[in-house]
Amino acid sequence: MTGSNETFKEVLRFEDDALLNGSRRFIDDLEPRGTLHIAMARSPVAHARLASIDIAKSSSMPGVHTVLTGEDISRHSTPTPIGWEHIADQRRTESLAMATSTVRYVGHIVAAVVAETRAIAEDAVDAIEIDYDLLPAVMDVDAARETNAPILHSSWPDNVLATDQQTSGDGRSALKSAHTIVDLELDIGRAFGCPLETRGVIADWGLQNQAGSQRSGSVGRLIVDLNSQSPNRVREVLSQVLGVSVSDLLVRVPAIGGGFGAKANYYGEEIITCIASKVCGRPVKYIEDRSESFVATSHARDAKMSVSIGADGDGSIVAFRSDVVGTLGGEVSSVGMGPIWVSTRAGTGSYQIPNADITTTGVMTNRTPFGSFRGWGSPIANFAIERAIDALADRLSIDPIDLRLKNMVRPEQMPFQNGLGWRLDSGDYPEALRRTLKSVTQAGWFDEVTDATSNGRFVGIGLVNFIEATGVGNSRKMGRLPMEQGGFDEAVVRMDSTGTVQVFTGQTGMGQGIETTLAQVCATALGANVNDVRVVFGDTDSCPYTGYGTGGCRTAPVAASSVMLASQDLQGQVLEMAASLLNLDEAELTISNSAVSGPTGEKVTFADIGTAAYRKLNRLPDHHSPTLQARYVWDPVDRTIGYGSIAVMVEVCADTGLVSVLRYHAVDDCGYVINPAIVDGQVMGGFVQVLGSTLMEELRYDEDGNPLTTTFRDYLVPLAGDVPEMTVEHMETLPPDVPSGSKGVGEAGTMAAMSAIAQAVEHALPGGYGWIRSIPLSPELLLHHIDAATP
Amino acid sequence: MSGTGTHQLSISINGRHENFDVEPRSTLAELLREQAGLTGTKIGCEQGSCGACTILFDGEQVRSCLMFAVQAADSEVWTIEGLASPPPENQTSPTPLAGLPELAEAFKRNHALQCGFCTPGMLIAGTLIGEACGGAINEERVKEGLSGNICRCTGYQGIVQSVVEVFELKTSNPAGEKPQ
Repeated sequence: MTGSNETFKEVLRFEDDALLNGSRRFIDDLEPRGTLHIAMARSPVAHARLASIDIAKSSSMPGVHTVLTGEDISRHSTPTPIGWEHIADQRRTESLAMATSTVRYVGHIVAAVVAETRAIAEDAVDAIEIDYDLLPAVMDVDAARETNAPILHSSWPDNVLATDQQTSGDGRSALKSAHTIVDLELDIGRAFGCPLETRGVIADWGLQNQAGSQRSGSVGRLIVDLNSQSPNRVREVLSQVLGVSVSDLLVRVPAIGGGFGAKANYYGEEIITCIASKVCGRPVKYIEDRSESFVATSHARDAKMSVSIGADGDGSIVAFRSDVVGTLGGEVSSVGMGPIWVSTRAGTGSYQIPNADITTTGVMTNRTPFGSFRGWGSPIANFAIERAIDALADRLSIDPIDLRLKNMVRPEQMPFQNGLGWRLDSGDYPEALRRTLKSVTQAGWFDEVTDATSNGRFVGIGLVNFIEATGVGNSRKMGRLPMEQGGFDEAVVRMDSTGTVQVFTGQTGMGQGIETTLAQVCATALGANVNDVRVVFGDTDSCPYTGYGTGGCRTAPVAASSVMLASQDLQGQVLEMAASLLNLDEAELTISNSAVSGPTGEKVTFADIGTAAYRKLNRLPDHHSPTLQARYVWDPVDRTIGYGSIAVMVEVCADTGLVSVLRYHAVDDCGYVINPAIVDGQVMGGFVQVLGSTLMEELRYDEDGNPLTTTFRDYLVPLAGDVPEMTVEHMETLPPDVPSGSKGVGEAGTMAAMSAIAQAVEHALPGGYGWIRSIPLSPELLLHHIDAATP
Repeated sequence: MSGTGTHQLSISINGRHENFDVEPRSTLAELLREQAGLTGTKIGCEQGSCGACTILFDGEQVRSCLMFAVQAADSEVWTIEGLASPPPENQTSPTPLAGLPELAEAFKRNHALQCGFCTPGMLIAGTLIGEACGGAINEERVKEGLSGNICRCTGYQGIVQSVVEVFELKTSNPAGEKPQ
């Protein structure tokens, strides 16, 4: 037999037709007959004790079925578990899905109304009478760590969720003996994934069994439809908190209108909606509205960092220190302080730095809970190291690019242990930077800057590097962290009686094109025509178990590997049957384009083989079993680290201090590129999201904890006119132990955007490098800088 | 508080006259999605900011979340379902926005959609701006024309490129035939 070399790199997305004509169903497009609607009553204050709740008036309104309070939730559920509870001595809140005695942020759920329509439910929410005994709001990490600060969770001695430290070499002490030391205080604002489709869930718990039912534990089947990136994770969490077996829960995922990590977290609304269905005996639907989303969907980024970098006189970096303090919310989200903690592993970026000391601390404040957003904590870590290098370059009067090239991990050092627990597995980091520089030089960027500068405009270029940890695993290592979730991925590949192939995956599609890319991987490994392959996802009954779900850039390195290996297994079965049908030896056969051929033109199609396997077994000798199906479970050996370099050109308006990004170029290495258009789309889309949080997006609060950004008119996401011309170039270094040959790429675009834009702004303005210390970039700061620097 | 009673009204939706009973506070977006069953019109903000609910209302681009259903009485509404698909045989009036299906093809070719949630609104807004630009289409005008539609996935490049590409073609060749 031979494997197939067919590739379908340029195939257009299979997802698109049904999205373009509006027929694809998202969560709010679904509604089982008899569905009731739930609306959440949310705290209007940041910190208070719940003195009293009076639901009498609300409950008696026409069309209202029930009003749930914290008491109901505590009767029907146990505290929500935290997925990332992996740091030694990490504290627990034991909080339920709804506040019971204390509210800790504006938006905290205090009650819920189930009614015939969403409008009635919202009216009835307004009729709930709640008295709050106000407590002082703790809004920033400095106030939260003062000696007499109010404690948010009364069983804790202070407001710190956890602290983790990672050192390499001589750690912090190596800094003292360095020839040159530069210190920076950095501050990154609060942003979030903000998918255009808000979160939603429909729970249908069926009617409850009577007491004395023979079935152990079962209270009727619970069917949950929701737009989650991690259906199996949701299933396990609901199982745990509601006391239902995993098998009695079916979780389904329709089309998702963007996830960006926000939908990788699981949320209290999901638990409350299930309980509402149980209480009412009807399907219940919750759709978050846009204003709610700004206080109810996980916030992210928000960190202060105290950074030091030390180098020899020639620019060799000898030591790096970063103390990262994350501004968490009033409750702990499903990822704990994972996105802050990741700095302890990613801290030294693309560079070989023999001594490092990185500490991360998560501090609770009276803000919305802190969770995942595309890139997790890595863009923050990137900002710390890249800013430090820029400031060091300025101090040593070395060109920032030269300083980077001097200190980057070199290809001959791969695989390189970064000393902080990550293995940088493969690639040529300096080549990515050289290529970026070469490409933008050839494209005339520097000439353009020279021209603009001579015309009195402030135009500059930034060039920085990034790494991106993808394909998180291995399952045993994750278990030892300790996490309760493995990183393996299961795939099932089945050929039907017409020769069409279905790939069943536990991954979830949310815009990143898995129905196309996984079909390409299967078709290539199996020898099928890609148009004969269908990808099935989003149903925990029929699709395989993938505990971690879709996040951490796992589809291309992990899921594609399991699909590829299962497809190769299926190819073996197909060839075996083809050999029998053609009466030839398997070694003589070739397989491609959904057919198997012999040496002299003999041929059976997949349809012929499928027919024999399912409907005409008499065509096959007795030793063949009916049906064609293969299953494979791939558990990644380790993370695989994507990397690259990016360049941006920006212009700073001298009158307003506003920054426009004019051009963007990336050199990205995510290993084997399955589909170039999709990969480029991921890189560009990720970049534009962080362009937003660098220049215009910020979730802000007043000092009492009132959110100031609750509409798209206050929280400004990039529009068509805000984005530059973008180009992406690829290097394709195959990682050593990833069967698919691909690294993840969904978060790559987010990594270096803040760092590159900051450096480019400094290049555009007088005053050297390294003085931009806070994100989002404030026009006032830039105007002040321009005034101070220009005579 | 909710108003009492419902109002009866008639609307032409995608070339068919239909009658509805609506609550005074129902939006046109809710009528289309919940009563007419046309869920291709998406709700992204209910604040008139994101453009996902964009429809064609008496020939104009309208955000259906900002209009009460009762305001649509006796109007002519087209949604993505009617605009993107071939007309049914019994459709009496011609489908407007003739360039939209071609723009949809360009979206596919240029990877101008990822999650697809903004796509119906983008296609309608993109076709209208493309047609309005006539011979003078360029990236800047398209970007300005699309500034009321949020896409959180793609970074807009493929969207803008598609509109320019399709309507440049249409202008240079008004018959709409692609030069080979």
